[in-house]
Amino acid sequence: MPTIITCFKWVIDEAYIRRGSSGDLDFSAVDYKISDYDRNAIEEAVKLKAVHGGTVASLTVGVPEATKGIKDSLSRGPDKAFFAADASFNNLEPSQTASLLAAVIRSFITPYDLILCGEGSSDLYTQQVGPRLAEILQIPSISFVQKVELKDGKVVAERRVEEGVEVVEAPLPALVTVLPDINVPRIPGVKDTLMASKKPVVTIKKEDLPPFPAPCLETVEMKAAKMDRSCEKFGTDAAEIARFVDVLRKKALI
Amino acid sequence: MSGIWIIAEKKEHALELLTIGRVLAAQMETKLSAFLWKDQNVPEDYIACGADEIMLAAPGSEGQSLDAFIPVIAAEAENNHPDAILFAATARCRDLAARVASRMNTGLCSSCTSVAYDAADRTIKMERLAYGGAAVQKVICKTRPVMVTIPPGTFEQAKAEAGRTGIQRELSTPAPSVLKVIEKKTKVRETKDITESRVIVAVGRGFDKKEDLDLARKLACALGGEIGCTRPISEENHWLPEELCIGLSGVQVKPDFYLGLGVSGQVQHATGIRQAKVVAAVNKDENAPIFSVADFGIVGNLYDVVPKLLEALKRV
Ligand SMILES: Cc1cc2nc3c(=O)[nH]c(=O)nc-3n(C[C@H](O)[C@H](O)[C@H](O)COP(=O)(O)OP(=O)(O)OC[C@H]3O[C@@H](n4cnc5c(N)ncnc54)[C@H](O)[C@@H]3O)c2cc1C
Ligand SMILES: Nc1ncnc2c1ncn2[C@@H]1O[C@H](COP(=O)(O)O)[C@@H](O)[C@H]1O
Repeated sequence: MPTIITCFKWVIDEAYIRRGSSGDLDFSAVDYKISDYDRNAIEEAVKLKAVHGGTVASLTVGVPEATKGIKDSLSRGPDKAFFAADASFNNLEPSQTASLLAAVIRSFITPYDLILCGEGSSDLYTQQVGPRLAEILQIPSISFVQKVELKDGKVVAERRVEEGVEVVEAPLPALVTVLPDINVPRIPGVKDTLMASKKPVVTIKKEDLPPFPAPCLETVEMKAAKMDRSCEKFGTDAAEIARFVDVLRKKALI
Repeated sequence: MSGIWIIAEKKEHALELLTIGRVLAAQMETKLSAFLWKDQNVPEDYIACGADEIMLAAPGSEGQSLDAFIPVIAAEAENNHPDAILFAATARCRDLAARVASRMNTGLCSSCTSVAYDAADRTIKMERLAYGGAAVQKVICKTRPVMVTIPPGTFEQAKAEAGRTGIQRELSTPAPSVLKVIEKKTKVRETKDITESRVIVAVGRGFDKKEDLDLARKLACALGGEIGCTRPISEENHWLPEELCIGLSGVQVKPDFYLGLGVSGQVQHATGIRQAKVVAAVNKDENAPIFSVADFGIVGNLYDVVPKLLEALKRV
């Protein structure tokens, strides 16, 4: 019966980021969430378990505050969670994240059969951590997957590429990154949340892991993107629609 | 040794990378090399378009996956020490780039919107979007080679120049990878490329059912434009093909006029319409984020507003 690891990132909800007066990013009103597509990864892991049995472990590397994310992940169905937590695990660069995830998996969750990741994280969306992790672990990886099955010790996946769809097969253990259309993630209920608090969580400290590499990439600037629009509003009665059409005509758009 | 390398599966993408590669190679006073899968494209074409050297890789055998070339590329890079490797940000190449970068313990800047050499501090500065497009992140890579993926459409395609010469060399044939492509379901592109459209009517989840998109089509037709969509419409509902999805994970458009119907305007979508000259939207929720990124917004039900707009346009 397979052991499935599903990696998720606890991220700032980008919908709450504001543009500060000097073009900086204003994080004062932000909330956090499980990165959108990681919810699909967790759901898929739980669905595979429903077919094949086995266990599902959720895994994240992050700051101690991400413990809320651990609870959230467990309320979505995994059996247990692994949490590599340290205040310095903030603003990690993809090479560092992959290296930390690999270290945790090697020391604490081996053997395993399948690792699931999201197609990309909602904050950085580098689409790297999955394939990098697979490279470090020296296992095959399949990205941009819209359908996944386990069959006779293999993973068979439909990968979406520019020309269409490729059906790809790899021996286990393997890593798969999922697209958002692979499933509809569940919305946990009160019971799920209660059950989640009873599930085991393995917290791993920085000291328990080999030293992780210095960042390769350095962010030299992070500015709010600009979008200057006139934001004029119109109603729906005949006069307003006529005024709208008139504006378009004056702009020579029609 | 040093150099700028480009890696793309398709010629049109390689030509875009040659454009930016040429600029970097000139500024950094180094040569430009292109990785090319034999039998797929003509090396001489790449040389005419700016490559000084072609690295010829064995053609991928039937069912072979690109990841078989990870060791080949990494070994070449370890022997030749390129300054930078530019990949086309297509699905397979993004994957390849991430694995090669990991193998070489170097940084990879994904989906770069700009790549520029700064002669003052001799670094390559790269820009990309973060937080769904709410932010522009500028990065440098402190390790070598600097690796980058560049979305198709970011640069112009290089043009052939007469009289250019270059060298060609063959790379070793890789061992087959354990990953096998067992079936390919190719789709035919049925829509126009909306990145060139002058007018775009974008549809979002405000539409109740697929048939209702006819309303948007009619409006697009009246305005002389095409339709585009949000990711849920293409990805979750499969009402329209993915190439019509506008935004962070879709295409960037630059029409004179963009009109969003039932589109909430979350940042991942809004970032794709930043270059539109005029943005308008119809949404029944007056607090929808689309209104803060639109020039003209109609607060109302699209099923009520669109027929009225069609009527009004008839009278123009
Ligand atoms: C990493 C990442 C990448 C993404 N990339 C993209 C991308 O490239 N492109 C993209 O589009 N999205 C992308 N998304 C998804 C994005 O965050 C939003 O979920 C999506 O854009 C919302 O689509 P929507 O506006 O169609 O739907 P909703 O957000 O559901 O909005 C529907 C809107 O319609 C309005 N409405 C409902 N009924 C009516 C009516 N009758 N008349 C008028 N208005 C009505 C509602 O008020 C609402 O504002 C990405 C997300 C992530 C996490
Ligand atoms: N800090 C993290 N902890 C666990 N998984 C992560 C972390 N960061 C990224 N991932 C995984 O890697 C995927 C791709 O992230 P990214 O490369 O940042 O786009 C995410 O969808 C997650 O599945």
